[in-house]
Amino acid sequence: MKHLNEEELIEHNYGKSQDSAAGEHLASCPECAAAFAALRSDLADMDFAQPPARDAAYGERVWRSIAPLLPAYETHKRSWLHGGLLRGLSYAAACAVMMVCAFFAGRLWEHKQTHLAQAPVPVAPSPAPVQKHAAPPPQRVVVVVLGDHLDRSERLLVELKHADADSPEMVSPLRDEARSLLAANRICRKNALHDDDPALTSALEHLDHVLAELASQPGSLNATELVRLQDEMNSSGLLFEVRVLRSRVPDRQPRGNNRSNGGTI
Amino acid sequence: MFRMGKNDHAAIRAVLSGDKDAYGALVVRHSQSLFRVAFRITGNEADAEDVVQEAFLRGYRKLESFESRSSFGTWIYRIAVRCALEKIGSRKTGDAGRVGEENDPEQNEIQVADGAAGPDRLLLSGEIGALQEIAMRSLTPTEQTAFVLRHMEDRTSEEIAAVLGIQPNAAKQAVFRAVHKLRLRLAPLRVRI
Repeated sequence: MKHLNEEELIEHNYGKSQDSAAGEHLASCPECAAAFAALRSDLADMDFAQPPARDAAYGERVWRSIAPLLPAYETHKRSWLHGGLLRGLSYAAACAVMMVCAFFAGRLWEHKQTHLAQAPVPVAPSPAPVQKHAAPPPQRVVVVVLGDHLDRSERLLVELKHADADSPEMVSPLRDEARSLLAANRICRKNALHDDDPALTSALEHLDHVLAELASQPGSLNATELVRLQDEMNSSGLLFEVRVLRSRVPDRQPRGNNRSNGGTI
Repeated sequence: MFRMGKNDHAAIRAVLSGDKDAYGALVVRHSQSLFRVAFRITGNEADAEDVVQEAFLRGYRKLESFESRSSFGTWIYRIAVRCALEKIGSRKTGDAGRVGEENDPEQNEIQVADGAAGPDRLLLSGEIGALQEIAMRSLTPTEQTAFVLRHMEDRTSEEIAAVLGIQPNAAKQAVFRAVHKLRLRLAPLRVRI
């Protein structure tokens, strides 16, 4: 039989329920019952001093002694409210100032970005710093210019293909247009070379050759020269090549380095 | 002066609305019970009165945090027990050396004559009471408070735990240790009675 230890006896003594397992054990175990009786006796003998009686006026005396030390809650609350209100207003003002600053900063940033996008990008021998600043917006301008150049070139080649040597009034404008396109074509070719775009470079070289020949004619083209140019154009498939490149222009938008063309073309 | 007809919660509402005197009703109503427990823990009348005042002062300052679901009596009682605990804690820190000497069980052994309650018997009874008080003061503040609340105030382990800010099992263990120590300390008296 397992006897109850002191802790269990103490627990049983202070416990509310007397019909527990400990109680049953005590009823059947004289040894534990004796130990429990000794515990109760010891606790009963602990005759600690009883609190001295306080008279009926004790509470009022306590109140009188502490009342002067207590601030009225209304005042306390009002000052809290006052402080809280001020603090709240300060926070609100600070938030409002921050929001206004953020708004104007945003506006300023947007304005700056718009200026960057619209500003002409100068052609520079080493374009790296310019490229750093100008990201997508300048690129858009360049693509339009390149596309325009190819459009104009395509029209010129079509007109050249169908030109009639017997109609000098038709051939003369072709020469002027070729001169106009030549400078732009060289810049485009230079940048295509720089961009390491072999297809564009090759096509622009062919175009450059045709444009140069066309532009260098002192007078109106004679029939022989015209036929030679038309044959050259047809044999190299230049018109087809220009059309293909023209169709590629939208796909070239993400590529960045042609952007420097935009300012000079 | 005091609106004694009001219950505690009404008085608290009045206090928080700015009627400071309404707190007086609460003080008058609960001073006696606070003094009783404060005296049992501190064992000293002057300290007990200090504890009562300190408890009501703290209670007033914390009144906004009082939850109206609970009883003000229980709430202020807990504050008073904590104040008393701090009181005996600080006192024990200061008196550590002296208490150590007084707690020597060998020195506390006395001869107690058996017989009718004559003058000698009364004198010895007083000495026994004093030794019991010394034994009580040898407990840690937590053990002493737990024992007082359990043995004299008839509080449950859960209530003791809530007052002391410990787990119920820890409160129970504190009571066990207190009873064990007291029995050991008072064993010499018991043998000779």
